[in-house]
Amino acid sequence: MGTQNVPSPLEAIPPSVVQFAVADKLINIGRVNSFWPLTFGIACCAIEMMATGCARFDMSRFGAEVFRPSPRQSDLMIVAGTITKKMMPGIKTLYDQMPEPKWVMALGNCAISGGPFVFDGQYSIVLGADKFLPVDIYIPGCPPRPEALLQGILELENKVSGWNRWKDPEKA
Amino acid sequence: MIKDTIKKALQELFPVPEPVVAETPPTEAAEGEETKAKKTVKEGPRVNGVIERDYNACGYHLDAQVDPGELLAAVLILDKAGFFIESITGVDWIKEDQLEVIYDFSRYDFDLCRVVIRTRTPRTAPKVPTISKIFSGANWHERETHDFFGIKFEGHPHLIPLLLPEDADFHPLLKDFKP
Amino acid sequence: MSAPIHIQPGETFTLNVGPQHPATHGVLRVKLEMDGEYIVHAETVLGYIHRMHELMGENRTYPQVLPNLSRLDYLGALGYTHGHVLAVERASGIEVPERAEYIRAITVEMNRIASHLFWFGAFVMDLGGFTPLMYAIQDREYILDILERVTGSRLTYCYYRFGGLYNDIDDEFIPATKAFIPRMRESLKKYDALVTGNIILQKRLKDIGPLSKELCRKYGATGPVARGSGIDFDVRKNEPYSVYPEFDFDIPVYHECDSFARYKVRMDEMEQSLRIIEQGLEKLPDGPIMPAKKPKLIKPPAGDYYQAVETARGSFGIRIVSDGGKNAYRFKLRSPTYSNMHLFDEACEGMLIMDALALMGSLDLVIPEIDR
Repeated sequence: MGTQNVPSPLEAIPPSVVQFAVADKLINIGRVNSFWPLTFGIACCAIEMMATGCARFDMSRFGAEVFRPSPRQSDLMIVAGTITKKMMPGIKTLYDQMPEPKWVMALGNCAISGGPFVFDGQYSIVLGADKFLPVDIYIPGCPPRPEALLQGILELENKVSGWNRWKDPEKA
Repeated sequence: MIKDTIKKALQELFPVPEPVVAETPPTEAAEGEETKAKKTVKEGPRVNGVIERDYNACGYHLDAQVDPGELLAAVLILDKAGFFIESITGVDWIKEDQLEVIYDFSRYDFDLCRVVIRTRTPRTAPKVPTISKIFSGANWHERETHDFFGIKFEGHPHLIPLLLPEDADFHPLLKDFKP
Repeated sequence: MSAPIHIQPGETFTLNVGPQHPATHGVLRVKLEMDGEYIVHAETVLGYIHRMHELMGENRTYPQVLPNLSRLDYLGALGYTHGHVLAVERASGIEVPERAEYIRAITVEMNRIASHLFWFGAFVMDLGGFTPLMYAIQDREYILDILERVTGSRLTYCYYRFGGLYNDIDDEFIPATKAFIPRMRESLKKYDALVTGNIILQKRLKDIGPLSKELCRKYGATGPVARGSGIDFDVRKNEPYSVYPEFDFDIPVYHECDSFARYKVRMDEMEQSLRIIEQGLEKLPDGPIMPAKKPKLIKPPAGDYYQAVETARGSFGIRIVSDGGKNAYRFKLRSPTYSNMHLFDEACEGMLIMDALALMGSLDLVIPEIDR
């Protein structure tokens, strides 16, 4: 399937690059329906993350219940908890070890901006995961409810693939 | 009652218990050693001694203040009587230019007797002997107190930072700490 | 494990059980020197979640510190808040009305059951059995529903205030709790049959990780860790506080000192907590939930105050050194898991690594409580 006859928005696409537009879309939809989170439960938000994976809130309806302990096998890093300066190099290493494509979710106030532990004289925490990681989605709360985590996953699905599971009732 | 026997045994460390005087800086007071051995004479206005406290008001029964030199003797008495180490912590009395180390002990049986042992050391070069040979649990407590206050525990097997990063050179709970 | 271990010098390797753990304990790092599968030496490295609650206690006023105590041990948060408010009430001399104390005791016991359920699920998952986690967390959700209606949060509660509570229980609390108790008893029977009697669990836990009484005393271990080694120590009975003298409950103590004993202690404690909740609901008096007169500004007189409470993990102590000001001069938190974890380095020498992890799970660790 060649692209020589399709007008391209870019300056010049070398003829060796082949674009499978429809297949890309399908692959992306497949990707978002099967996020494999890396368990990075640091503190209290980890408990809500586990509760989301369990029977009542059931993250596996959205395909994301396969928590992988190893970064080499996961594609979504959920940073759940306060990040300390001692822990930061470890998190960066884990992020670097994840293969592309990968996304980062900051769960809870501590991962967004330091949370309730920011005060005059705090020497030990990093004020948010986005100081050293490219965060894709922020979920506020202390700790956020499991429903909030699920909504975060749905928003991330939309962000990655442009596809919605259902019509937004407010926009209908 | 067994509890009173324990109190008496501890009081023998300090032959002359005196009521506490608030806000008086402690002076060098030589005080009584453990029971059967030597007994030196107390002198000086500030107390190193055992005070009995009202449990309902403050939460512990006996409050003993010792010099760092007598610390091991006092802790040995508690170890022989079967107490367990609850915690070790420090307080920074910056106005009096001293650091205080507080040791909490308690018992497992129903003879409740909480004992608090305090010792003071100058702020500029704080040094206290370690009790980790007597109570192994003191190891981490002393490392933490060293982390937060900078107190050197002499004889400690492994006095490196426990909660702070390995290369930390600051002591956060000192009153003049700026991050 | 009957053959003696011959270790040639220089034949060990270092295994790092690193801060990112597939188990649920949190960010804990243990450096292990291994000879094959046997542990020669273990060193725990802490500090990966050190957020310095103690300095926050000094920089904030007493009411401003209230939410922080829940983040210390988030699974049993109400127990910690209870200790804090009792300490400040002791220091300031504030009287608490009876109804408030009863509600505090009931909610603390419910939180204790929730914490033990989570421990149960996570522990058995560590050993390889994934199913009980689902059942345990489902049971825990029932408790969280009841508590959420009253307190507003699911995990990190900030329900108690100095002098009482900020919100009385609603109409649904008592019927919902009364309906929950028999359901929980059924679940406990189910766990007994499915898990406790399971031959695999028993082989994994019996005679594994022995902690002698003397070891516990030297390290200051409290809570189910000590009670599994034959030490009959529970702050609710030894040093009673709040309204616990009014309740009739037992303290389970097992003398085998192994991981199975610690497991059984926690399972029995859940039943005892149900008994306390039943009695508390029966005896719940009417009345106000805050005292008529309490100081507008909490400023305890100068001095040293200590309060110990029994949380799900052991004896939590809080020492407030006050100089008469609005902030505490020194705010020391004595965390039970700190002393319990300390045992691990000495106790796991010579064990197989899988037995060491079973021991670590039976200690019931929550790392933010160790690192404070």
